[in-house]
Amino acid sequence: MTHERTTGDFLELVHRHQSIIHKICFIYSENRSDREDLQQEIILQLWKSFSSFQGNAAFSTWMYRVALNTAINKTRRPGLLIDRSSSPDLPYDPSDSYQFSEEIEILYQAISQLKKVEKAIILLWLEEKSYEEISEAIGITVKNVSVKLVRIRTRLAEIINKLQ
Amino acid sequence: MKPIDLDSMKTTWKNERNFQEHRLSEADIEKFLSAKSKDIGQLFRSGLLIDIVLKSVVGISFVGIMMLFRTNLPVVLISSGILLLLLWTVRYQWLTIGKIPEAPASHPVIRTTLEDKINFYHQHYIKSLYVGALSNSLLILSGMLYYFYFKYGELRPFLWDDYLVLGAVIVLGFVLGAAVQIAQHKFQVKQLESCLREIDEDAISSLTIREQRNKKARMILIFLLALVCGLLILAFFIFR
Repeated sequence: MTHERTTGDFLELVHRHQSIIHKICFIYSENRSDREDLQQEIILQLWKSFSSFQGNAAFSTWMYRVALNTAINKTRRPGLLIDRSSSPDLPYDPSDSYQFSEEIEILYQAISQLKKVEKAIILLWLEEKSYEEISEAIGITVKNVSVKLVRIRTRLAEIINKLQ
Repeated sequence: MKPIDLDSMKTTWKNERNFQEHRLSEADIEKFLSAKSKDIGQLFRSGLLIDIVLKSVVGISFVGIMMLFRTNLPVVLISSGILLLLLWTVRYQWLTIGKIPEAPASHPVIRTTLEDKINFYHQHYIKSLYVGALSNSLLILSGMLYYFYFKYGELRPFLWDDYLVLGAVIVLGFVLGAAVQIAQHKFQVKQLESCLREIDEDAISSLTIREQRNKKARMILIFLLALVCGLLILAFFIFR
């Protein structure tokens, strides 16, 4: 019965905080099948680690860290080994599931041009996480976070200027 | 050029309604729990488990060879040696499974997770890939012994060119098996290494040193293989 209660807790918490998964999948996926794969992997990794979640931190903070970790550690397989029959590479089309404002679409296009870790840093910054929280999640010093953020923000502004 | 107000975008991002919608029901989430992970750690685990199964099959086939050639002492002795080797390699692969970095738990740190996976690959998994490639060679050897038994009912004496052909096929099976596996895994590990480089510029030096060391080892291996093949070809033309 404990297992059922734990599964129930997990489902309820993930359901409540699923916006985190949608945001990360939105940023880290190039097409619909990628997004579905990442969504599945994030939920699986959350489930695997759930028993060790002590509740010292907020569930959303822990969820953010596990989900970002999963997104960055997700690797593409060599082209020949990809099974395209089960998940065809459908081009990512925000309009098929999301109706975004122009501002968000431009921001998405700009962020999609960043590297994986840069995406994580900017995502945490967009979520108003402190420099300490960002440094803990990535594994770099607070000073390094500040230097990287300045660089990323400058680059992001340049890309957005070009896009507009 | 209009200045970009990233801070206002931050507010828009946070308040974006599309992300707040509950697109996944609890039933959808539950379905994902029984899915198979595509994480590189799972790839390492599957690779090792498949090799253990393959080695067990090869082991059973060598037990069969020992029974079929029970009157041929050299074959029985060589098969016994191979069985011992297989037992050692199965144990080696099993112990390597235990070293696969686990999923991040209460405080996952991106850099640590990447380092753990990259270090596991370079320190343990690459050796397992070579150990795994042995299965190909032993499978070829057992296949040939069965072929001889069912075709001739015995193991006919080998001439030098039989040894040459058999040796070349066994070496080729090992080299091709290892090369394909390493290329496939290297493709994915390189992606993790590029993320680690991105995180910490200081890591460039340690990664570069390791890459140089690996390159040197690879060159020595290629040189030795080329030397062996060259000598075999030379022997073929001299003693033909």
